[in-house]
Order: sequence, then C-alpha cells, then structure tokens
Amino acid sequence: MVAGWAEQEDHELLARIQDGSHEAFAALVQRHAERFYRLAYRYLQNKEAAEDIVQDAFIKLWENPGIWQPERNTKFTTWFYRVLINLCLDWRKKKRPLTLDDELSLPDEGEALDATLIREQEQKMLEKEIAVLPERQRLAVNLCFDEGLSNQEAAEVMGLRLKALQSLLMRAKATLKERIKASR
Amino acid sequence: MSDPQDQKLDAMLRSRRFEPASPDLAARIVLQARSTPQNQTITLTQWMKRLFAEFHLPQPVYVCACILIFGFVIGFNSRLETPTTDDADTTDVQSFLYADEDSL
Repeated sequence: MVAGWAEQEDHELLARIQDGSHEAFAALVQRHAERFYRLAYRYLQNKEAAEDIVQDAFIKLWENPGIWQPERNTKFTTWFYRVLINLCLDWRKKKRPLTLDDELSLPDEGEALDATLIREQEQKMLEKEIAVLPERQRLAVNLCFDEGLSNQEAAEVMGLRLKALQSLLMRAKATLKERIKASR
Repeated sequence: MSDPQDQKLDAMLRSRRFEPASPDLAARIVLQARSTPQNQTITLTQWMKRLFAEFHLPQPVYVCACILIFGFVIGFNSRLETPTTDDADTTDVQSFLYADEDSL
C-alpha cells in the first residue's frame, strides 16, 4: 500500500497509473483538473466544452497510460497542456467560431460610472479583444498571464523558442493596447 | 521600461475572471475512469524494461553464468588442439613396424 498519494510527484503517480492504479489517477486528477479546465475555458469560452475536453484528455491518459513517456524528460503539466491545446483546436475546428455576448459596449454617458462598473466593462472589452487575437498570440497570453507559466515554460508548451514567444506576447499586448484605446 | 498603460494592461490580464468549473469535475473524471478499461499498449522500450524486470536475478548468479559460459568456450576451443587416442595408436603401430624391418 502506498501512503500519501497527494505527496507523490506527478511522474510517480503516472508510473502507478501505468500499473493500473485508480488511486494514483484520482490524485493526479484532483491535483490538476482545475488548472487544465481554466486553460480550456480561456481557449473555448465555454464551460461545458472546457469540462468535456478536460475529462476527455484525462480519460485518454487513463486508457493509454503508455502515451506518457517519462524518458522524454518533459514535465507532465507541460506535456498535458499540449495535449489539451490540441483537443481544444480540434473542438474549435469542428464547432462554430468563437462568439462572445454582445453586451460589451461601454455604458451611456448619463449612466453612473462607478469604479466597479468601469472595471467590469474594461474586463469585458479585454475578453472580447483577446478572443479576436490570432490563435498563437491568444495562447501565449493565456499561458503567461492566466496560467502563470514562465515565458520559458510557455515556450516549451507551444514548441517555440523563448524569443519567438516573447515576440508573440509583445505583439499581443501592442494589439490589445491599441484596440482598447481605440474603443474608448 | 514599462509605461503606466503597460502596467495597467498587465494587471488586467492577470486578474481576468472566468467561470469556475463544476465542483464535481474531478469526481466525474475519476468515476468515468473506474468504468473504463486500460489499454496496455506499451512501447518497445517499456516492453524491454518489463522483460528484464521479469528476469531479474541477483548479481552473483550473473557472475556464475558468465564464468560457466567462459568455461564452455575455452573448453570447446582447447579440445580441438589436443591429440586424440586414435592418433597415438597409429604412431605406435608404425614405430613397431619399422622396428621389425630393422631386425630383419
């Protein structure tokens, strides 16, 4: 019997999963489901789809635990982000293009503009602008700002060099600043 | 160098809200896995590792086996170089015959 599944490293849990351990799988899912859901949600802007994709990804891992190969020296989370992104891309190809609700205009002049309301509107506008960024720029923004990955980790997930990722981020931020400024 | 606009954008990007996942998401995944069988498709390297793990023996056994194999190899090689008993008999007979001729 193995004590303290929660204390085990990801690669140790994965080795157990390859031996068919449901407990190790449960520990891995409980540890990471939320963070992977967040990325899928950012990508798809759809709660149900994001949950389904995270579920599919984990079940695929359970069904074929051999797809994770520790000798490749990739961190589990980096590898699983890639799996998830591919599933999101497939989903996006099959489904209609991303649409956000239309309530994104700024409030009328006469309306009382308190700080919270302005902030809320700005957030909505930002979401709208992020949604129309090119695919790779959006992913770079999501990984670095939302997931809190370092630039190096995000570059690994995206299969890019660090410089290329930094360039994507710079362009994304420049575009966002420009568009937000223009829409005011 | 970052201007206040950059800083504001960074702050906004870091504080984006999202719809939280259902609280039972992890439980649902675990439950589905319980009713899903695993495909034991393994790579060649994994298969090799498992095979060697199956035949794992203590180190002295490997040493003994190596010595045994080494012994067999030396044994088979040296056997070809030693004269056989048949060769020895023919020499003796020939020398006997020659000896008889001399006496005659």
